[in-house]
Amino acid sequence: MNTVEETIEIAVPVRTAYDQWTQVACFPRFMTTVKRVEQIRPTVTLWVLGLGPVRREFATEVVDQVPDSHLTWRSLGQRHGHRGEVTFRPTGAGGTALTVRMSAEPRGLTGVLTALPAATGRVLRRELANFKTYVEGHGEASGAWRGTVRDGQVRPTEPEPPRSRVPAWPVG
Amino acid sequence: MKKPPRDEPRDDLSVTPPKTWAAGVPAVVHALEYSLEQTAPKETAVDLLTMNQVGGIDCPGCAWADPAPGHRHRNEYCENGAKHINDEATTRRITADFFRAHPVSDLAGRSDLWLNQQGRLTEPMVKRPGSDHYEPVSWREALDLLAGELRALDSPDEAVFYTSGRVSNEAAFVLQLFARAFGTNNLPDCSNMCHESSGFALHETLGTGKGTVGLQDLHHADLIFLVGQNPGTNHPRQLSALEQAKRNGARVVAVNPLPEAGLLRFKNPQKVRGVIGQGVRIADRFLHIRPGGDLALFQALNRLLLEAEDARPGHVLDHAFIRDSTSGFEEFAALVRQTSWDDVLEATGLTREEIEQVRDEVLNSSRVVVCWAMGITQHKHGVPTIREIVNFLLLRGNLGRAGTGACPVRGHSNVQGDRTMGIWEQMPDSFLDALREEFGFDPPRAHGLDSVDSIRAMRQGRIKVFLGVAGNFVRAAPDSAVTEEAMRGCRLTAHVSTKLNRSHTVCGRTALILPTLGRTERDHQTGGEQFVTVENSMSEVHTSRGRLKPASSLLLSEVAILCRLARRTLGQGPGNIHWDEFEADYHTIRDRISRIVPGLHDFNRRVARPGGIRLPNPVNEGVYRTATGKAVFSRNTWQAPDVPEGHLLLQTLRSHDQWNTIPYTLNDRYRGIHGSRRVVMVNPVDLSALSLAEGDRVDVVGVWHDDTERRAEGFEVVPYPTARGSAAAYYPETQVLVPLDSVADISNQPTSKGIVVRLERVTP
Repeated sequence: MNTVEETIEIAVPVRTAYDQWTQVACFPRFMTTVKRVEQIRPTVTLWVLGLGPVRREFATEVVDQVPDSHLTWRSLGQRHGHRGEVTFRPTGAGGTALTVRMSAEPRGLTGVLTALPAATGRVLRRELANFKTYVEGHGEASGAWRGTVRDGQVRPTEPEPPRSRVPAWPVG
Repeated sequence: MKKPPRDEPRDDLSVTPPKTWAAGVPAVVHALEYSLEQTAPKETAVDLLTMNQVGGIDCPGCAWADPAPGHRHRNEYCENGAKHINDEATTRRITADFFRAHPVSDLAGRSDLWLNQQGRLTEPMVKRPGSDHYEPVSWREALDLLAGELRALDSPDEAVFYTSGRVSNEAAFVLQLFARAFGTNNLPDCSNMCHESSGFALHETLGTGKGTVGLQDLHHADLIFLVGQNPGTNHPRQLSALEQAKRNGARVVAVNPLPEAGLLRFKNPQKVRGVIGQGVRIADRFLHIRPGGDLALFQALNRLLLEAEDARPGHVLDHAFIRDSTSGFEEFAALVRQTSWDDVLEATGLTREEIEQVRDEVLNSSRVVVCWAMGITQHKHGVPTIREIVNFLLLRGNLGRAGTGACPVRGHSNVQGDRTMGIWEQMPDSFLDALREEFGFDPPRAHGLDSVDSIRAMRQGRIKVFLGVAGNFVRAAPDSAVTEEAMRGCRLTAHVSTKLNRSHTVCGRTALILPTLGRTERDHQTGGEQFVTVENSMSEVHTSRGRLKPASSLLLSEVAILCRLARRTLGQGPGNIHWDEFEADYHTIRDRISRIVPGLHDFNRRVARPGGIRLPNPVNEGVYRTATGKAVFSRNTWQAPDVPEGHLLLQTLRSHDQWNTIPYTLNDRYRGIHGSRRVVMVNPVDLSALSLAEGDRVDVVGVWHDDTERRAEGFEVVPYPTARGSAAAYYPETQVLVPLDSVADISNQPTSKGIVVRLERVTP
């Protein structure tokens, strides 16, 4: 496994930075390599990444997620396998230290990226800077998902999230 | 295009060995052959190339989900979907001359196949009291007649409004609104006869009536169970998902009384390796289970998992999930630990070793999906069986995670959506309150009649008017003779249909045929060209837009028929329902739906996006709307059906050349049955024990604890690898054997997969 890690300090409280990070469908608005993100459910997301002429599509699963603390994910499927973690720590100045760590098998786009730590570090650094600009510029998160995930499952929360309000009567 | 047959096809049975793989080149050949028999090459091309595409026609066949936009094949359909859509798009036409030549008494003696092959219905027809002929009638007179009969009823509860799964969301919403504004919840549907057991079991244990998986979950599962289903014939596009899962490393356990070709191997005809290669093996393990033995199987598996946990504490069960998200574990575990191996082996016909091998598969898999269909639901203990499947999933946390979940595979394209729209005789107060708020009338609160209870009520003379919107109620319903007698006792029967079927020939005193547009056809209303929406088995709601010219200028859409009927029946009241607006522009219906059905807010805008709307499943959000607020472990008991010596347990099933009640030909090529449908498939060992041999003619006689003799006459015996002690024969010919009162506990669903029969030799 190849690993890259980048940290950035953001001048918003942890809660704001975390909440914005949960809005992955917005990432293409400010990240240049993220072309499309589709949220299938809280734990499953489809990503399309692009770097130059290369496009890669994959699904990820959130494995563990604790609000204002951390989120770990892994890719689904055998190809382009990678795992990742993002952590949020408060800084003394009331901001957030956000750290992303990604490990990938040395194949596929993400594998190629992580096989070149310097280049990948640059891409990741640039995207985190984009995230910083976005969230600092807005000063608030564009949305939030405050659920907790353990072992890939959303843990029961109160009150019931609005998204789950769908027809629940028996279907024949 | 071939002309419709004048005569009944000749029964001429030949039998070849069952196939061991599904699809491949023959699937393409048969699909095109049938399509071109029915319609012109241009129409075939238009409907096939737009079928299941973004902005195209949703296949009116099964409810399997489409791949995401951008990932669909140019030919995103299966053999049976192609046959089904061109069966509707046929250029054959039924006119008034046809009905002049064929009195109702003649049509009532015709086969399902012959009736369907005559082509599309083109104008409204009425059979008046005392007449043996349908005759043309204007829409105005037809709807006045129906509305008049409805208004003349002593109570709105003397009418029933039946829906089949072809009906769009918009038409379904309008139908239930009309029925409730009229004053009844009598809304039976085909769901009552196919997956009602799934709905009740999932609702009770998980707090949702729908399956929890999407295509992604199947693609990324480690282990997939296919239980009591035949994907090769009934949901062929599921095979593509299974192929992908296998290529991702999944293993598959198939559990079925018949080793169906589609469970064994799949050659994907859209890929080179499927055309010239060996294809993909589907089932890594095949459990040749006795019909109805599935509850015992899953109970045994659950016991084995508990024992595995005892042997390796902390390594088998998902304790955190069980603790945080479930209730009733201890009580469930105490019961399951008492499961008797003797009973399990007797009920399943399997060996302990086979079941233990499956246990090992489970222990080696961190992500498990269980798919099932009517081989599970249509048993007396269908609901407890599905509850036990849920127990099985809960034990190792196989719910709510990617690559896991419960997957009831539904068989008709919008059967799930119709229920979402409120087609159910027991809708909760929250839905009825929302209707009241939106439309300003108070819907009836007393529960209505489901399909079986509707027939019971008809028999007792309590139902005077039957309106069927799509489908073929008479043939889909159990106990054919009883159902037909009940229908004939109605004052008026009316069917909104695209094609002729037996339900039109089993008439009340007055009968109406109200011909309607098919899915494939353009739908022009005063508000412009319309589209409709449907919901697939994975809760994705999307559009369907017809592309072909309607079969006749006299056809009305289902929405238009229902709106006009509602106007004539209800006049200006009750409430503020603008039927004219609904008919003119279906956007106005969707606007109302968006304010009534939770999850479909902003319906018009969101459904227009490629791929439409994915309704979340609460289970995947960590929400369980059950009595305990958690997923519920249940305690399930079972009793093996009493099959006396010399008897067999019959399951009814479809042939490969068939869609629901309608056979397209007399062939069933995967099972090697050609030229006849009047066959009964029996294990060779059982045949010997019964002193019967291949080719013997028998009557299949139902055994039930009433004094009624139920007999399906003139069947030919075919030795077939059905599970020992069981037999299989085609639906709907053997519906006559399914007693009306033989229903699943709790769900009231007919038990068409578990009928005790004996075979009586007929001397030629």
